[in-house]
Order: sequence, then C-alpha cells, then structure tokens
Amino acid sequence: MRETVRTRFFLVFGGIFLLLFCYATLNLPSWGYYRGPYGDVVSRNVVYQRHATDAVNAINYDYRAFDTLGEEFILFTAVLGIMMLLRRQSDETVRDVGKVADSIRLSATVQSAMMPMLLVTVVFGFYIALHGQLTPGGGFQGGVILASAPFLLYVCENTDAFRQITSHTVVEICDATGAVSYALIGLASLVMGLPFLTNFLPLGTTGDVFSSGTIALISAAIGVEVTAAFLMVGYTYLEEIITGEVPEE
Amino acid sequence: MSTPYALTPLPVAIPMVGAALIAGLRKWLSRRLADSLGILFAAATLMVSSALLAASIHSPGVYWFGNWFPRGSVVLGIGFVAEPVGVGLAVLAATLTLLSLVSSWRLIDSGANYFQPLMLIFLAGMCGFSLTVDIFNLFVFFELMSTAAFALCGLKTAEPAPLQGSFNFAVTNTIAAFLVLTGIGLLYAITGALNMAQIGLAINTRHDSLVLFAFTLLTCGFLIKAAVVPFHLWLPDAHAVAPTPVCVLFSGLMVQLGLFAIARLRFVVFAQTFANHEVQLRSIFLLLSALTVLVGGLMCYAEHHLKRMLAFSTICHSGIMLFAIALGGPLAFAAMLIYLLAHAFIKAGLFLTTGILLHRLRAIGERSLFAKGKTLRWTAALWFLGSFGLAAAPFFLTAAGEAGISHAAEQTGNSWISWLCFVGGALTSAAVLRVGMHIFFGWGSEPITDQTAEVGELPETAEEDQRIFWYQYAPAAISILIPILLVAFAGWMHMVEDASVSFTQQAATLHLIYSGRSMQVGGVNWMAALQDSGLRGLFAWALGFVLACTSVFRVSLTRRLRIGAFLESGFSPLRAMQSGHPGDYVLWLTIGLASFGASALMLLRS
Amino acid sequence: MPHVLHSLPYFVAAWLFFCGLYGLVSSKHLVHAVVCLAVLQSSTYILLLGIGYRVGGAAPIFTEITPRALTVDPVVQALMLTDVVVEAVVVALLLAMVVKAHEKSGTVSPDELSSLRG
Repeated sequence: MRETVRTRFFLVFGGIFLLLFCYATLNLPSWGYYRGPYGDVVSRNVVYQRHATDAVNAINYDYRAFDTLGEEFILFTAVLGIMMLLRRQSDETVRDVGKVADSIRLSATVQSAMMPMLLVTVVFGFYIALHGQLTPGGGFQGGVILASAPFLLYVCENTDAFRQITSHTVVEICDATGAVSYALIGLASLVMGLPFLTNFLPLGTTGDVFSSGTIALISAAIGVEVTAAFLMVGYTYLEEIITGEVPEE
Repeated sequence: MSTPYALTPLPVAIPMVGAALIAGLRKWLSRRLADSLGILFAAATLMVSSALLAASIHSPGVYWFGNWFPRGSVVLGIGFVAEPVGVGLAVLAATLTLLSLVSSWRLIDSGANYFQPLMLIFLAGMCGFSLTVDIFNLFVFFELMSTAAFALCGLKTAEPAPLQGSFNFAVTNTIAAFLVLTGIGLLYAITGALNMAQIGLAINTRHDSLVLFAFTLLTCGFLIKAAVVPFHLWLPDAHAVAPTPVCVLFSGLMVQLGLFAIARLRFVVFAQTFANHEVQLRSIFLLLSALTVLVGGLMCYAEHHLKRMLAFSTICHSGIMLFAIALGGPLAFAAMLIYLLAHAFIKAGLFLTTGILLHRLRAIGERSLFAKGKTLRWTAALWFLGSFGLAAAPFFLTAAGEAGISHAAEQTGNSWISWLCFVGGALTSAAVLRVGMHIFFGWGSEPITDQTAEVGELPETAEEDQRIFWYQYAPAAISILIPILLVAFAGWMHMVEDASVSFTQQAATLHLIYSGRSMQVGGVNWMAALQDSGLRGLFAWALGFVLACTSVFRVSLTRRLRIGAFLESGFSPLRAMQSGHPGDYVLWLTIGLASFGASALMLLRS
Repeated sequence: MPHVLHSLPYFVAAWLFFCGLYGLVSSKHLVHAVVCLAVLQSSTYILLLGIGYRVGGAAPIFTEITPRALTVDPVVQALMLTDVVVEAVVVALLLAMVVKAHEKSGTVSPDELSSLRG
C-alpha cells in the first residue's frame, strides 16, 4: 500500500478509535477521586500486616509477588533474546579495533570527576536497593542505578575497563542466580506447607532495614538480576559496535 | 491447603527454575546435556500438571499466592484456579513442548544453548496464562509468552527475512499487550479490583460506553493474539521464519490461548453485561469468524511455502473455534475445547513432518520440493493422515468438535455455520493434499509458486547427517495418532462436558473462587451430539481431494475446470493485505479495532 | 464543560495512543517504529496513574504519616513500576532485531525490507 493511502485510511479509523476512547473515558470516575477498595485496603493494613512502610513495594514483593516474578522473567527472557540475536556467528570474523574513541575528547575536568561520581552512584544504588521496604526504591530501581555505574566508565572512554567488568562470566551467573533465587524463595515457602511466595521470614521492627520478611530478600534478588541484565545488554550492544561497524576515525 | 493443591504453582515454577538453571550454566553445558535438562524439566512439568488435572477433575479448587485470602469480597492476592479446563491447557502446553524439544534433540542450531531456556520460559508463560484468574497476572503471562516467542522467532539470524518476520510479530503483539493493559486499567477504574471474579461481581449488568470500550480493548487485544481477521497478518510471517519446534507451539497452542482468554473474560467478567444483547454480540463474533474461516481457507490454498500454508490453516481453524465462542453456551464451549485439543496435535504433527522434510530435502517451498519426497513413505503417511484430520474425518477428534459446533449452531438457528466449517476444512485439507501429491508422488506438472515460497529456506539442521532419526519421527507420529486414539477411547468426553458447564456459568466460577469449593452443576448429556458427526468430514476430504486434483493436473484439464489453479493464484486484494510492511499491519489492526469498537457501542449499548 | 475537564488526563492518554499508532503506520525507519511503541507504553502509564490519583493525597509511604492518612493508590504505581524497567529491555530486544536486520540487508526502512510480501 502506498504511504499516503495508508496514512489517510489511518487518520479515518484511528480518529474513530480516538473518539471512542475519549467518549468512553467521560464515564470514568472524576479524575483525582480514586474510589476503589483495593488500594485503600492495602494502604490501611500494610504497616500492621507486613511491618513495611512502603506500600508500593509491599504490593510488588508480597501481595502481588507472583506478578513481579513473572515480570522479572520477562526481563530475563528479553536479555536472553538479545544475547541470542546478537551472538557472534561462527563465520563472522572478529576485528579487534581496541578502544572506540569519540571525535571530540572529553575535558580533563570531566574525566577526573568520573571516579567520585562512580563511587557515589554505587553507594546510592546499594542504598536504594536495600531500603525498598521503607522508602521508594527497591530492587528494580536500585539495580538500574547500579548498572549505570560501569556506563560512566564507558562514557569517560575507559572502554577496556567497561568491557572487562561487563563481559565477566560472573555477570551472567548473577543474572541467572537472581532469577532462580526469586523462584526458590517461593518454593521454600511451599516446603514449609504455605502457599507459594508467602512471607515466611520474621517480620522484624517497622522502620528497620532488616524488616518485613521476604520483601527485603526478594528485593535484593531482583536488584542482582536487574543489574546483571542491564550490564549484559550494554556489553552485547557495545560488542556489536566494536566488532561490527567501525566508525571512521 | 490440601496436598494436591500444593501442585498448582508448580507448572509455572518448574520450567522457570529449569530455564534459569540452563541459562546460568549455559557456557559449561554441552549441547546434549542442555537438551537433556530441557527435556527433563518439560517432562517434570507434564507430570505435575497431569497430577493436578487428575485432582482438579474430582474437586476443583482455588490457590491464593502468598496466603492472601480474600477479605469479604475484596481480593488481596493473586489466585490460580485449578479447574479442568485451565489445567488441561497446561497439560497440552507441556506435552507440545516436550514433543518439540525431543524433535529438536541435537539437530537444530540451538543458538549457543539459548533455545532450551527460552522454550521452557514459553512453557511457563502458557501454563500461567491458562491457570490464572487475576486479570493483571493474565497480562503478565501474556507478555512473558510473547517475549519468549519474539526471541525464539529470531533464532535463525542468517538471513534478513527472519528479522522482518519477528519484527512484525513483535510490533503487532506488543500493541495487543498495550490494548489489554489499557482495558485492564479502565476496568480497575470502575471496580477497584484486579481479580476477574471481583470485577465480574462489581460490573454486574452495567453496559455503558465505558464497559463496552474496555470489552473492545480486551477482546481486540486477545483477537490479535488469536490471529482472527483482520488482526491475523502477523501469523504467516512469524511462521515462515520461526524454527519448526517453535511453529509447533505457536500454531498448536499460543494462538488458541487468545481465544481461551476471550472465553474466560466473557464467562467470568462480562457474563451479565450482555444479558439482553446476546444476539447482537453473537452476530459481531459470527461475522469475524466467518471472515476468518474464508480468508484463512482461501489464503491457505494460495500459499506455496509449507509453513505459511499451515499458518493460514491455523487461522482458518481458529475461526472455526471462534464460531464456538460466538455461539455461547456450554455445548459449544465443550466442542471448542475438543476441537482445540485435536487441532493442536494435528497441527503439531504436520509441522513436525515439515521439519522432517526441511531436514531431509533441504527446502521448504512447494516447487523446490517437487517430486523429491518419493522415497519418504512414512513421512507421506503422516502427512496424508494429517489432511484427514484437518477435514474432520470421523476417526479424528476434530469431527467430534465440529459435530458439537454444528449442533449448537442449529440450536440457535445459524445452520450456515456448519457449511462454512465444511468449506474451511475442505480448503485446508485440499492444500495439504495438493502439497502432498506434489512432493510425495510427483504427480502433475511443476507447481505454481509465488514470491514468498523461498523465504526461510535455510535448513535448520547440519549438513552432515541426512538420515531421519527416530526422535524426529516419533513426536510427529505421536502427535497425529493421539487424536485418533482419543476418539477410539472416548470415555473422557463426559469430563469435558462437566468442566465446560462449570466454566461457562459465572455463578459456579464465583463460588469456586470465593469459597474454594466447586458448586454442583447439573449433568447434561451431549454425548449424542458430539458423536453424531456422520460422514461430513469424509465428504469435506473428498471435496478437498477433487480440488487438489484440479490443481495438480491443471495442464491436462480444460480451462473451465482449472478451479484449483485459479484459487492457487490467490486473490490480489488478499495477497496485497499480506504485504510484510509493519505499517500496513498496524493499519489493518486499527481498522479492526475501530470497527469492533463502533459496532459494540452501537449494537450493545441500549 | 467542567465534566470534560475532569477527563482531560484520560484524553491525553488517548491522544498519545493515537500518536503512537500513527507513528507506527507512517514510519520510514525501524528504530522510529520501535520508539513509537514506547510512546504507546507511555499512554498506558498515564492512564493508569491518572486512575489512581487522589487530589490532596500523599505518597503511600508511611514513614511520617499514619496509615489512615489520605494517600494515592499504591496498586497502580506497583503495576507500573516493574513494567517500566521490563519494557525498556523489551524495547532493547526489538532494537536488537533492527540492528541485525540492518547488518544483514543494509537497510532500516520497512518499505525496502519486503521479502515477505504475499
């Protein structure tokens, strides 16, 4: 179909869909006055039932922990898919081109500020990942922050260090370990005769880092997995750049 | 929590653990060990889900994750419901995965041991999808299934076509996921709940524009997955480029799970919404099904790439199953389940046979394979048996399914449906017969071909060994024989009736989810209806045979009798629809979405 | 008129969905098509977050406020939170397909990659 024909047809039918959407949303409850019971029941009870102050993460890692297990495996699957798609075929030759340098070099100020920034990022990432049950944060966010730390190395042109960190076998093992430990925590509660993914660890005191039972543990497992996943994705794409098309110097 | 129900999360947990294990140890596992582990975990899942099936037939139950039981009518956690329909689908998923993993033992390029974990995750996604009664959990498993499918589709990366096929597949199905998520959001806004039973209770008989729009979004999202016209365009492209074991799972079960989700939502969430509008709702779905059967059947006959042809036949049979959902009621639903089961195995057998052809003869297009299969007698036998199955011959289980659908159609006064099913079966079996005559007998003149017939032709197996191994024959033979055996030993069909009655009644499902025990439902006896298919299937096969002959022997026929050849050239508007361009596919998706939404709003509101 | 204004955030979500679909239909570059999927994703997030909002409600973090205080809905935030990270990686998967397609056929235009026609 030619492009103009396609676009015109789309404007007609897409416009109909847009109108239907807007017409339907006129019947929604007024914006800003959420009514439903689910959120309120959880909010009222989360501190008492689970000694966790962050209701969002309590939902993610306790009330609806099974959903999060599924989402974690979607992440895991996507990373496996990327690795499989961009894997080196046996007939492709690998050209070793060393460092990939930008045409504009970074200033010395930026390069020297990198190390402190890296340390701050790592510490901050750990803080966010470990305090998920108390304040906004948790495994997903902490993992992404931690994964961004080696990327600072790449940005500041230390690609060898980046490649060494991210290509290490430990990263791949951490990815699989994070994924499997979430499932094993669930199976552990089965062993105790409770349903899958029940919070069976002692709940501790509200406000402590080591509180709310398996929420903290699951959050840590997810943090490990997300960090490893992003590092693997970054490494795979970088390898594609280095060994695939090489920018003209 | 009684012991059998501790099994309920295991069909999901076991493949997940297996996949993470194989992926973690990937670099150190030899190919053979990784394959064995994959088969081991798939077999374990099969055992666990079969045990769960046995338990759930006697006493269905509900399983609350995290020990979060409902408080009054508010559901706090996620629930799985162990009732025969969902668990049966999980058993089917495990069986098909096991058969495909066995058939790919050591022969397929496994992408550095990424293939086995991805297949296991696909299995986990399908099992979770069938068992859950939480609507957001349904979405999560939908995404899990889809992501594993996208990744698996891109396994063969040596030519550009696989990436285009998997890209179109990924774009269309991701839009489907977002449509479903938007629908879930709208339902959550009205009811404040994510559990299907609670939503169904809260919506009650409300059918204003908001509920109808949410219905549109959810149904269209799952219709995209179910490859119903006009949302079907991604399926042939995905099949053309995916490796054979993956095609088995796509056509055997993944597509039909979309229909299952529509049925689940219709019977639990929207059960009372359409209480006064049954006829109008039925007419919308009947129109879609009729289009699907016709387009699927005609394009199936017009294809010359074996996998694309089988993909279009999946679309056609998907349309027949949508007829069953459209008709509503327990008899039609029971017929749909039986048809689904039969079709899954027949299609799996046909795809596995295609895999044998690709392995042995190194080609996948009808013209490239012309007359090359004359020595492959057992393969030919399986292929032609499969054609009987597609036409719903009496000794195949598909006949029982079609008989049930026709009976239900007559009850609602829509007898034309049986004729359309007849035509669809005839067309798809004609295509299979034509291809079989060309390849295995070498009859007639050189086959017509088209542009896409040579796509995805790179063989999936290594060059050295071209014998056909027992682990390639056995899964194909088992798949084709199971529907025959299930007809010969038909004692299990009354269990399908009972399961179907409790599935289609919202009151029974609500009782099961809130109290954990099943409600006694009246036993209905339709064995007569299901066994009364008569010889219609054989007539469909005969018609298909005649049509195939007019194609094969077209050179020696007069112009007027070359019906087969005429159909084979396809209709240019239909072919133009299938353009391979993602923008076109999204356009047709939007057309379908807007039309469905507008007709739902106009017909079902008052 | 005020009634329409009450639904304005939902209109924004609807408009974003339309824009994403339009981008997909008229796209001439596969990377652009993948980013349009991200636009669709944002539309669903805006809808979900809009549904859970409460005027004057605090964040559902109970370190300083009591559980009986007025908070926004934590459930939709929880649903969205994991989705954001996960969909980012799924987008990366689609981009990997695009990279591979470019490597094998030298083009990223959907019009030119048409070997699957018919």
